Amino acid sequence: MDIIANLKSTELAGGVVSSCIVVLLMVILSIYIGIRAHFQDPLKRPKGLLLVAEVGVNFFENMAEGLLGKNYRKFGAYLMAVGVYMFIAFIFGLTGLPSPITYMAIPLSLGLSTFILIHGTAIKYNKFRYFKRYIEPVPLFLPVNLISMWAPLLSLTLRIFGNALSGFVIMSILYSALEGLSASVFAALEPMIGSWNQVFLAPLVTWILHLYFDLWSGFIQTTVFLSLTTIYVGQEIPEDLLG
Amino acid sequence: MTDAGMKFLAIAITMLAVMPSAIGEGWVVSHSVDGIARNPENYSKLRTTMILGCSLVETTAIYALLVAILLLFVAR
Repeated sequence: MDIIANLKSTELAGGVVSSCIVVLLMVILSIYIGIRAHFQDPLKRPKGLLLVAEVGVNFFENMAEGLLGKNYRKFGAYLMAVGVYMFIAFIFGLTGLPSPITYMAIPLSLGLSTFILIHGTAIKYNKFRYFKRYIEPVPLFLPVNLISMWAPLLSLTLRIFGNALSGFVIMSILYSALEGLSASVFAALEPMIGSWNQVFLAPLVTWILHLYFDLWSGFIQTTVFLSLTTIYVGQEIPEDLLG
Repeated sequence: MTDAGMKFLAIAITMLAVMPSAIGEGWVVSHSVDGIARNPENYSKLRTTMILGCSLVETTAIYALLVAILLLFVAR
């Protein structure tokens, strides 16, 4: 009871709550697919959700193999986790709840996880030589290198955030404009249905733009984020390990 | 000229950054169309690379839009 009372008293931002919903959805789906895959006869053809999951795993593993080589096929797991979360978060705005990506914290945490992965990979393969990159070519460059270290994080974060936010703002402007237009076109209906005369025009126009700003833009931004992640990580792995 | 007017002028100047980005995107598309015309069998590969390049070029414009939106909230 204490936890529920605490949850009610804290004010979470709407995007954080919908992010939790997305994560919950993904966890339930993963557990269900995991159980199905465990009891599946490997000689039989997979059906339904299991088939979709298999195609997805194959797609992300091929993506990792295409950019990093055969040895890093397992890197597809990270790509799939981030990619599926990001795509669902992008199209979550279609449900009418606040979209997680339009809150700065969510893209920042996605960017931060990639950032940590990049530097973790660098430390894993270079050991102490990792710190040498900050004093190259001469120790005088230390401040410049320390600042440029954050460039990938900023560019990864702001790219997704800006894309989602611009779509969100344009859609809100369009919705409010169509509301006013509908109210003035159907002004004759006002005595009968009151302010409900605002709702007629928006559903005719906005679905096409939702297709572009939510589905298409979400898909493209997810692909770009995953490619950039793979390329950044691939830069840190020594050449001879890449197949 | 009022203070708010200057702020909206600043937003307009910020959005000028979209122009070179659009030109760059046009170059990306024109060159990939050249490539597709030369060897049409590479169409699917070139298309993927083109869309990726387009959205990378677009980033600059998105930064400008982000700054413009932030300025808009300040100018209100």
